Amino acid sequence: MENIEERVKKLFVKLFDMKPEEVNLEANLNDDLGMDSTEIVELTVALEKEFKINIEDGEIKKRHCVSDVVNIVKNRIK
Amino acid sequence: MKVAITGIGIIAPPGVCKEDFWQNIKAGKSFVSPITRFDASKYPSQVAGQIENLNTNPIPRRLLKKIDKFSIFALIATEQAIKDASLNLAKEDPYNIGIFIGNALGGWLYAETELRDLYVEGRDGVSPYLASAWFPAAPQGQISIFYGIKGYSKTVVADRASALMAIGYAAKVIENKKLNIAFAGGTEAPVTPYALLCCSTEGSLSKGLYRPFDKERDGFVVGEGAGILVLEDIEHALKRGANIYGFITGYGTFCDGVDRIMPDPNGKGLIKAIKATLNMAGYKPQDIDYVCADGVGTKLGDLSETRAIKEVFGKKIPVSAPKSMFGYLLGAAGAVDVIIALLAMQNSIIPPTINYQTKDPECDLDYVPNKSRLKEIKRALIISRGRGGINAVLTIERG
Repeated sequence: MENIEERVKKLFVKLFDMKPEEVNLEANLNDDLGMDSTEIVELTVALEKEFKINIEDGEIKKRHCVSDVVNIVKNRIK
Repeated sequence: MKVAITGIGIIAPPGVCKEDFWQNIKAGKSFVSPITRFDASKYPSQVAGQIENLNTNPIPRRLLKKIDKFSIFALIATEQAIKDASLNLAKEDPYNIGIFIGNALGGWLYAETELRDLYVEGRDGVSPYLASAWFPAAPQGQISIFYGIKGYSKTVVADRASALMAIGYAAKVIENKKLNIAFAGGTEAPVTPYALLCCSTEGSLSKGLYRPFDKERDGFVVGEGAGILVLEDIEHALKRGANIYGFITGYGTFCDGVDRIMPDPNGKGLIKAIKATLNMAGYKPQDIDYVCADGVGTKLGDLSETRAIKEVFGKKIPVSAPKSMFGYLLGAAGAVDVIIALLAMQNSIIPPTINYQTKDPECDLDYVPNKSRLKEIKRALIISRGRGGINAVLTIERG
């Protein structure tokens, strides 16, 4: 089983046609990855399905980095 | 009015570039075929003008899944038009460029499928992009974002007259010196299960053959695609040495005010719109060499249009409905017709009304049946009409 970090990164690549190398832990969702609010909704729903968790609306924010997203997922899985 | 047309972008069943499109239009071929992308066997009309295997350059994959087909058509046609006009957008003031797009339905394929998901899977099944994908102004927004265009813009929703009204409106804005450049035209993607059903229940769709002005006519066939023109202030166009296809010289619109779907039987509103357009252009009826007709193919639609044309121009003027070759592109049709008229002028060829077999004693004009005709065209008049008695008319002059 892949670790959570890798699975989250793969989801970014799959959903938004991003290059694997641009999805690093420090990348900012809005500034670096160009994500808007609708893409964040898509990401949220996809994470919920992938990890069978519940993430609140607005919990993932545009100013977050990939590492913040990974942490949200890790906290939920606990 | 005198506004320059300096670029053409076309995505339609006869061709997805200007050259292919014109070759097929002047040949008078039919591009209406059985619908295969969904089961239309229970629909009264099972044929349409369809675009297959469209190359979606220059749209990135990340954007493709967020927008409906009608925005995809509009973006590709705009890209073509910009190239055709040799426009370098980096050199232009983005606040002096506008976008005027006509559309009748909106992005229904996106809406239909996501609404199905909503009812089957619940809220989480719905794409977050639906909100910005389906609505009629989406193509305007996508073009604005994609090219960084920031000037005065507007989406026109006026049923099948939408595109011609958008072009007329854009020309007026340029004429009033509020913009240097406008991308104007229309886009439509109606070959979807729900959109086609709504067109069918309205009662204007043909059961087989789209044959405008023919005695046996029974309505139109839908088609999909987009047409985008680059309209330009004449001084601006001359200054940058642009190729000028022609000029928009007049525009007029009036409503019938008689019925929800049917036009005024005598075409009174259309007559008024034609006269207002000629008046704005400073033309007499005999100055017009060719009328590109609405030719909706319904009994009353074609009859009232014939009566109106006859009232203003008499019986001798050549009138054709080239859309008989590829279907009625609803809110994009007017733009395609303007492009056809421009190419007709450039090539001195009038494209035909196809599928014309039986003469209707009441529709007794020269419809240029089945075969294109060589003729010099200096000035042309284009007609678009929509449900509820909308009439729009535009005149163009050769460059």
